[in-house]
Amino acid sequence: MPDTGIQERVASTIIDVLKVDADLVGSDKRIREDLGSDSLDSVTLVMALEDEFGGSINDNDAKSLTTVGDVVSYISRRVEEKSLA
Amino acid sequence: MSRRRVVITGIGMISPLGTSAGECWSALLEGRPSVAATPASWRQYAETASTIWAPLPPIDWPAHGISRIEQMQLDTSGMLTLAASTEAIRDAGIAASLADPKKKTFRLDGLAPERCGVFMGTGVGGITSFYGNAVNHVMSPLKSVLADPTSLPPMPPRFNPFGVPAMMPNAVSALPGIRWSLGGPNLTFSQACAAGTVAVGHAFRAIAAGDVDVALCGGAEYLGDPYGGIFRGFDIARTLVTEGSDPQRANRPFDRDRTGFLFAEGGAAVLVCEEADAARRRGARAYAEIVGYAENFDGYSIMSIEPSGTRIVAMIEAAVRDAGCTTADIDYVNTHGTGTAVNDEIESAVIDQIFGSKPLVNATKSLTGHCIGASGGLEAAVTALSLAHQTTHACHNLEQPIRDLRFVRAAGPYRIDTAITQSFAFGGHNAAVVMKRIA
Repeated sequence: MPDTGIQERVASTIIDVLKVDADLVGSDKRIREDLGSDSLDSVTLVMALEDEFGGSINDNDAKSLTTVGDVVSYISRRVEEKSLA
Repeated sequence: MSRRRVVITGIGMISPLGTSAGECWSALLEGRPSVAATPASWRQYAETASTIWAPLPPIDWPAHGISRIEQMQLDTSGMLTLAASTEAIRDAGIAASLADPKKKTFRLDGLAPERCGVFMGTGVGGITSFYGNAVNHVMSPLKSVLADPTSLPPMPPRFNPFGVPAMMPNAVSALPGIRWSLGGPNLTFSQACAAGTVAVGHAFRAIAAGDVDVALCGGAEYLGDPYGGIFRGFDIARTLVTEGSDPQRANRPFDRDRTGFLFAEGGAAVLVCEEADAARRRGARAYAEIVGYAENFDGYSIMSIEPSGTRIVAMIEAAVRDAGCTTADIDYVNTHGTGTAVNDEIESAVIDQIFGSKPLVNATKSLTGHCIGASGGLEAAVTALSLAHQTTHACHNLEQPIRDLRFVRAAGPYRIDTAITQSFAFGGHNAAVVMKRIA
C-alpha cells in the first residue's frame, strides 16, 4: 500500500500542473488520455515531481508512467530506495 | 490621417526599490536606494573591482500571480514582466476575465485583442536561464569523474526543459501577450540600456498611427546569476562603481567623484498606453500624455558614446520637434545618468547645449541602480509619475555637480509641464520620449 503522504503529494502536483479537479485524480486515471496531459505538460509534470520529491527522474522512467497509480508506485519505490531525497 | 493622441493610464514597476510602482515611487521620493555588498559566493570565482550592487527585494511570486509551476518554467526576466504587467493592467482599471484556467490566460474586458499590442525592451532576455543550463550541461559529466564531486560549485538541479523559451529575449513580449490574450503586434526591442525607451517610443508610434489602440510597453531585465559572471562582464569592462569609503554614497551620477554605474539585479516596468479618446470614454485616469519620440544611432563605438554628442543632440532635438515643442518648453529631463565618467560628461554637455540650465535634471539610476534593458521603462514610468504628481525625486548623492545645470537636489513639488526621458546604449543607440502633463 503506497504511503498516503506520497499519494497526496503526487496528486497535488498533478493538480498543480494539469489544473484538473481533485476528484479526477484517481489512481486508475491515465495521465494523457483521461487527464488531458500533452507533451509539454508531461515535461512539466516530471520537473514538478523532481522539485516536489528532490532527485531526478530519467526520460525512460518518465515514459513508462501511464496512470496516476504508476506515478505513486514509482515515487514510493524511489523514496524507499532512497534514490530520491 | 492626423496623429492620434496617446496617454499612459497604467503603471507597473518592480525594481531594487520595491515590488510595486507605489513602493518604487516612495523609495525614490524618500531617497532610499538599494545598495548591498555583492554575494560573498561570487568571490570564489573572481575578484572584481566593484563589490556592490542593487539587489531586488524579496519577491512573493504567487502574490504577483506567478505560480510554483511557472517559477520552474520561466526566466526571472519573464516573471518580472508578468508581475509588472499585472500591476499595470490593474492600475489602468482594466478588468480581466479568465479565458483558460489551465493556461492561466485572461481577456481584457472591453478591448479588442487584435487592437492591443506589446512592445517590450530587454538587454539580454533570459540570459540567466541560458547560463544555468550551460553550467548544468558542462558540470554534470564532471560529477562522475571527480574524486570529490562535492567540491564542485552549486549547479542548477536539472537541465531545464524550458530553457529555450526561458532564454529567448522575445519572451518578455510573448509572455504578457499570452497572459492577456493580446493579438496585435508583439515586438521585442534589444538596444541594451535604451531598449525600454525604444519600446515605449514604438508603442507610442503604433497607437499614434492607428495600428493599435492599446499597448503594454516598457522594459525588463534580470542579471542576478548565482556565480556573478554577468556582473563580472560589466566589471571587467570598468563600467561599474567602485565604492570608496561609503558604499551608500558611491553611486553618484553627475558628481565629480562618480566612478561608474551601480549594477542592478534586475527590474521591470510596464506602462499601459492608450489612444486618448478611447481612454477618456472608458473613464480612465491618465498619468501623462506621450507627445514625441525619436531615435538614432552613433555609428561610432560598440561601448562608448561618440564624444562630441552630435548624434545625441540631433536625436533630442528631433524628439522635441516630434512633440511639437521647442527646447525652451522642456521643464524636466530624466537623464540616462549612469554615473560613468564618459556618459555623464557628454550627457551634461548635451543638456547644457540644448536646454541650458532651465529644466530640472535628475538621474533615476542614482537610486535604482542601472537596470539595463528595464531602465528606459522604469524611467518612462518615473517621468510620467513626476508629471502626474508634479513632484520628482532628487539626484541622489550629488554633491559637486560636474556642470552648472538645474539638478534636482531635493525631492519635492515642482512645476513640470513637458518632460523628456532619454537613454543611450552600448552599441550606439540613442532614444528619447517626450511627455506632457495632463491639462
